[in-house]
Amino acid sequence: MSKKANSSSTKTRFTPVTVVILVLLALYTAFLIWLLVWSLLTSFKSWEEFRLNVLGLPEKWVWNYSFVLGKYTVPVPSASGVYNVPYGMMFLYSVLYAGGCAFTATLVPCITSYLCARFPYKFGKVVYTVVIIAMILPVVGNLPSEILVAKTFGFFDQIWGLWLMKANFLGMYFLVFYGVFKGLPKTYTEAAKIDGAGNLAILFEIMLPLVKTTFFTVMLINFIGFWNDYQTPLIYLPHYPTVAYGMQQMSVSTEYGMSTIPMRMTGAMLMFIPIFAVFLIFQNRLMANLTMGGIKE
Amino acid sequence: MKKYGKLNGYNKWDIAFYIALMAFPVLQFCIFYIGVNFNSLLLAFQKFDVATNTTTWVGFDNLIAAFRRMFMTSEMLRAAGYSFLAYGLSLVIGTPFSLLFSFYIYKKLPASGVFRAMLFLPSVISAIVMVTMFQFFVERAVPDLVFRLFNLRIEGLIENKATRFAAIMFYNIVMGFGIPSVMYANAMGGISPELSEAARLEGVEGIREFFYITLPLIYPTVVTFLVVGVAGIFTNQINLYSFFGQWAPGNTVTYGYWLYIETAAGDRAEYPELAAIGLWLTLVAVPMTLIVKKLLEKFGPSED
Repeated sequence: MSKKANSSSTKTRFTPVTVVILVLLALYTAFLIWLLVWSLLTSFKSWEEFRLNVLGLPEKWVWNYSFVLGKYTVPVPSASGVYNVPYGMMFLYSVLYAGGCAFTATLVPCITSYLCARFPYKFGKVVYTVVIIAMILPVVGNLPSEILVAKTFGFFDQIWGLWLMKANFLGMYFLVFYGVFKGLPKTYTEAAKIDGAGNLAILFEIMLPLVKTTFFTVMLINFIGFWNDYQTPLIYLPHYPTVAYGMQQMSVSTEYGMSTIPMRMTGAMLMFIPIFAVFLIFQNRLMANLTMGGIKE
Repeated sequence: MKKYGKLNGYNKWDIAFYIALMAFPVLQFCIFYIGVNFNSLLLAFQKFDVATNTTTWVGFDNLIAAFRRMFMTSEMLRAAGYSFLAYGLSLVIGTPFSLLFSFYIYKKLPASGVFRAMLFLPSVISAIVMVTMFQFFVERAVPDLVFRLFNLRIEGLIENKATRFAAIMFYNIVMGFGIPSVMYANAMGGISPELSEAARLEGVEGIREFFYITLPLIYPTVVTFLVVGVAGIFTNQINLYSFFGQWAPGNTVTYGYWLYIETAAGDRAEYPELAAIGLWLTLVAVPMTLIVKKLLEKFGPSED
């Protein structure tokens, strides 16, 4: 009842401005759908047909997917010469890279924010301030140094090395978790303490289950981000090309047969479809759980 | 029975637990934030000799060379221009549209759920995929469409020098609505419904409600986006690597792209000068960010 009342009080009538916004949003949506449908249709055309029929439906539907999957390889140098990493291996590397990095990049801010939000130590305030300062104060051009440090610690060209490199508490998600933990009533932990629960039990059996929705959402967003990221693997994982890395290589490939627009669209679709499926399944979870307030020093 | 006298008190086990769990994040921070940035600072004063594989201290030579390169070469001055232009366009066009779109979603007007999903969709798709689609669309489909409609032959919008930067910025702005729109809409969702109801009863609706009620109440979130975005002037690649790989035309290059390709080239001898350029850019970016933050807080709308 109250939800319905809240919903109706938020709603508004159309005004000239909202009509203009509606038109803009409709145009945006139409453009995006057209772009996606055109790309999908192009992936079913032969190069010969595409040159004559750029916009229309394919006259002859061509299955480029098996050809691209077979040819979708990335040459990687090794001591014994150059070898080609096939799509299956790139997929595996993507799962390891994105899954591992998403987990560590979610777990560390979650645990750190829990410690800062629920324990009354001054160090927590220091950590919180560091997060805010790091967000506000930009450091530019430290990539060369980061590469050197990664090499020094043996993290370079190691998937597990990137898991550790991404396991930092800085950034927006610390604030998201901090807000959630701060908002949880103290009665939960107090009751658990009375029942004799230790800190680990409180963390794993009470607090983490309470924030599992936020944890899953942040991890999903992180996973998508790492899955799509090709620039980090391009620099840090020269021997472990991911699917996104392969797509980038394909987009600049001049190899005969693979450099045509329909083939590139096919490669793009191979990357687009799995993530689109994830998006369709989890779209509400992805979009509903994230809020961020202001930043105060 | 345990001592429960100090229910909210914390004993040595609490401290041990706290230290055990805090140790890894702090160590990671020390290595990959403090260590990396400190090393970057040191790099700016060093020179690496590839032939002898040795590092030597060179005082301010790198900083002087970096300063000259940044402020006296047309390449870097042009990169500065495009970096600021890209930020300005995103700020002036992207932010207002994101806010208005999120207001539409927040008000649950027709098809708002569909629009929210469509706005967010490009943020979950890899930039390399979206760019591939967009690039060939504006290169091949748009000229074909113009020819069909107007019997006029035009160049592809990326191929054409005159439209290249505009097409790239169009892509960046349009595909960049997702995260801010959803964040703003979620922040607006936190506004008390009674406030909207009271405003409606007093005849404050539509754009007036947006300016007088909604925007002031979500202003801290807007400030966060804008302040964090200032660093983007120096780091935003505007997806140039996805569009062009290492060969972006000079009339599009930004600082972010330039720094990335120079580093990705992997020439160890170039790292000290790149670190020096990074240091100069940080010295510009930090005060600029703080000034923007102060100005936004001083001149922004008030919740009162």
